[in-house]
Amino acid sequence: MPASCPLPLVKGTLDALVLKALSWAPMHGFEITAWLEERSSGGLGVEDSALYQALYRLEERELVRAEWGITGNNRRARYYHLTANGRTHLRAETTRWVQYAELVTEVLTAKRQRA
Amino acid sequence: MIRPGIRRAFRLVLWRRDNVADRVDDEIALHLDLRAAQLERGGLSPADARAEAVRRFAAGGGTATARQALVQAASHRETTMHERERLAALWQDFRHSVRGIRREPAFAVLVIVTLALGIGANASMFGILDRLLLRGPEHVVDSDRIARMYQTTVVPGIGEFTGATVGYVTYADIRNGTRAFSEVAAYTGAQEMTLGHGADAEQVRVRWVTWSYFPLLRVRPVLGRFFMEAEDRPPQGEALAVLAYGAWQRVFGGDSAVIGRDVTLGGRMYAIVGIAPESFTGHAREPTDFWLPVSARVPQPTDDWATTRFAQWLEVIGRLKPGVTFDQASGEATAAHQRAYDGSVDYEAEARLSMRPLWFDGRGQEALEVSVSRWLLGVSVIVLLIACANVANLLLARAVKRRREIAVRLALGIGRARLLRLLLLEGVLLAGAGGAVGVLVALWGGQFVRATLLPNVEWSGAPVDGRMLLFTAAATMLTGILVGLLPALMASRQNLTSALKEGSRQAGSARGGVRIGLTVAQAALSMVLLVGAGLFIQSLRNVRNLDLGIEPERVLTIRPSWLASGARSPDEQESENRRRNDVRVRALERIRAHAGVESAALTIGLPFNSRFTVRLRVSGYDSLPRLSGGGPYVQAVTSDYFATVGTRRTSGRVFTPADRAGSEPVAIVSETMARTLWPGADPIGSCLFVGSDEPPCSRIVGVVRDTHRDALREDPAMQYYIPFGQERGIGGTTLLVRPRGVPMAAAESMRAEVRAADPTLGYIHVETLQERIDPQVRPWRLGATMFGIFGALALLVAAVGLYSVMSYTAAQRSHEMGVRMALGAEARDIRRLILRAGVGTAAAGVAIGAMLAWMGGRFVEELLFGTSARNGMVFGAVASCLMIVAVAASLIPARRATRVNPVVALRAE
Repeated sequence: MPASCPLPLVKGTLDALVLKALSWAPMHGFEITAWLEERSSGGLGVEDSALYQALYRLEERELVRAEWGITGNNRRARYYHLTANGRTHLRAETTRWVQYAELVTEVLTAKRQRA
Repeated sequence: MIRPGIRRAFRLVLWRRDNVADRVDDEIALHLDLRAAQLERGGLSPADARAEAVRRFAAGGGTATARQALVQAASHRETTMHERERLAALWQDFRHSVRGIRREPAFAVLVIVTLALGIGANASMFGILDRLLLRGPEHVVDSDRIARMYQTTVVPGIGEFTGATVGYVTYADIRNGTRAFSEVAAYTGAQEMTLGHGADAEQVRVRWVTWSYFPLLRVRPVLGRFFMEAEDRPPQGEALAVLAYGAWQRVFGGDSAVIGRDVTLGGRMYAIVGIAPESFTGHAREPTDFWLPVSARVPQPTDDWATTRFAQWLEVIGRLKPGVTFDQASGEATAAHQRAYDGSVDYEAEARLSMRPLWFDGRGQEALEVSVSRWLLGVSVIVLLIACANVANLLLARAVKRRREIAVRLALGIGRARLLRLLLLEGVLLAGAGGAVGVLVALWGGQFVRATLLPNVEWSGAPVDGRMLLFTAAATMLTGILVGLLPALMASRQNLTSALKEGSRQAGSARGGVRIGLTVAQAALSMVLLVGAGLFIQSLRNVRNLDLGIEPERVLTIRPSWLASGARSPDEQESENRRRNDVRVRALERIRAHAGVESAALTIGLPFNSRFTVRLRVSGYDSLPRLSGGGPYVQAVTSDYFATVGTRRTSGRVFTPADRAGSEPVAIVSETMARTLWPGADPIGSCLFVGSDEPPCSRIVGVVRDTHRDALREDPAMQYYIPFGQERGIGGTTLLVRPRGVPMAAAESMRAEVRAADPTLGYIHVETLQERIDPQVRPWRLGATMFGIFGALALLVAAVGLYSVMSYTAAQRSHEMGVRMALGAEARDIRRLILRAGVGTAAAGVAIGAMLAWMGGRFVEELLFGTSARNGMVFGAVASCLMIVAVAASLIPARRATRVNPVVALRAE
């Protein structure tokens, strides 16, 4: 899919995606962005600042927690971890998303049936 | 990496808003740098990469807006998380406190029991006062706007008398001649009457009230109605009855068909019109079974009862109109009374009427029960203060032990505010537990006080209710803060470095000073309480040892109730009276013959029951001198009267069976009468004209001791006795019996003897003479018991306090003791050192307490009996008692101090 026409993100999905990214390892903001872009081949139309909004929101809900750490280039960065609550939430969101997607797919790809 | 929770707890990072913004900026900067670098790697020029990074960061609104939004989100996040952490910290502190308390169960139990006793004492006294004073009688609306009326008359040469009883005329005058009251009502004191007939008869309590009584109190009947104005009109109202809820249940089983039915009271029929609500006991909380209209009373005191000023048997209450003060109402009442005054009773000309609160007694004073209860609430506050001082002391001692722990916490950055909270929380927790146990104490204590000390008051409801719980909760909270605050303040102010270095040894001399101050305060307050207890106990003893001139606990009074005779004409009444007299004489003879009886007598007029004055002329006097005690009072008695009641003869002879109606008129006078009328001379042979100036006069044949007439505290009065049967114009005979052994044990056989003399008699009332006196003794018993309990409590708490202070002081000085012993001090010296400190502290407290008690004494003076509030013996006894306790409390720590091993103590550095 060409990077020039990314799909707008379904509301609330970003949170789940961020959690998914963090389920691999603690990351700082840019690492998460990069991870998401890599996985989606740039197909997710998200402003970078929206990611930080999502992170702060998740932190407030105690789904992730943040710590200051040092990057490979020796710079101070805020690293985000998935909490136990976050992991549970991710699992639930994934299930929900998959069911939802299947449903939508089924409807959208339904063949015309004759009565 | 340090977890954020910990970081925040130790305040390594401040979370202020500008800080939040800085951190957001850091994050944005890093992001833009990394993005630019990524784009550069992809082939863009540094400038283009930068621009593209910025564009991707916030394509829509621009970086500034995006940053703004992020800072806002971050702040919101920080605030939320901070709140959450504060809650978590509070919960943590709470758990920490609970753990700390549970770690030292002995300490916790001591503190909780101390506080429970203090809080429980307050709660039970509050409960009592609340009922007696604050809340007003059940079902009575706005009882604080209802006033009781008193009449103060000045009798020339004798003094002022204030009483609550007036005639019906005065009631009518007030009702018609004032605007200050929305309603006025009158009522009689409770009267015992026979309900039903014969052996099934039952004794009930009856009050005669005006029709306005119920509307004034704003009570609603549960069934039927109350009286109407038209039914209560002098001179003869309708025979109706309002039934008390309790009597309705007890006598009629709660049958609602009882309305309209007739009941027989004192041999007369009354139709029941209504039922008063449950637990309604009138305006004065006195047990009552029936209310009847005043105008239906039989017999009335006189035929012209509604218009004469000579019969005074009613008490009056009025409900003040909104905005009217007691003083204004008193003024109006007096004016109305004087306008209507007709000159018939001379001393009423100047009479003043005054309106006073409902809880005042028959003489216009605040009822002794109320003032004693008020005092006891004050006393229980002192007990609570002592308990607080003690617990604060214990907590302080504990804080000293935990000094190093607290210093470590402070060094780790726990923040003094948090520490303060931690220690306060401990105080509140302990107080909370104390309060919970205190409610149990109050439950038991309230029941105890109600049942044993205030049995005259008709209580309703449980001793613990919502208002009392509220009071307890407030007292508990206050107590918690009081006991927690001092240790908390001291702990948070301590010097970190020295505390870390010294551990608990030095513990700050300033704090030692505070603790000794608290101990001195405890000892002083205990001294005050115990002096109070001593004075009350002394009063009670004086009351009990009071020579009344009679032996009331040995004597039974017997009063049968007669069936209504239906006698109308004077002749019929005369013959009925003769018949009744015969019955009494027959009963007296039967009782005299009974094996269990020492002696028995008949009397008209009896101490603590009734007294009479009749016209009396004494040869040699134009008019008799008047004594402040009133009188002279006359009694007509049979020959064994003096032996029966135990009044001793001082000279001459007492009456014999030969002194009777028709025999030579004789008389016996009291010592006061003899002294007053024949000073320095022998009265025997002198002449009394009793009831008439016509000869023959009654010749005085003997002198007997004075007796009290109706109060424990009264001025002496002249009294004289004439033989039963020689009296004229007085009536109301009582049968007196002095049984062998326990008097009340003979009650049933006495009833049987009297009934055998006349089987038609109604209920036969038997009680000891003492029962009439007991209510007067009760306030002193209440005072002595409660002051005694509270004093003992205070002493116990103070002793524990002193002990704990001394043992902690001794423990802290163990290093010093070690040095002293290493330098050659002996166990004896060490012991003396500690003892001296303890006794010194107690002595200071006792001295201060003695001073307080000495100064405060005049406030209790009027509650005491036969003792000054500055009774040296009481002060001395209490002081030595406290000092003995102080020595005992210091002895154990002193002995422990001598067992210090110098080597261990010195090495403990």
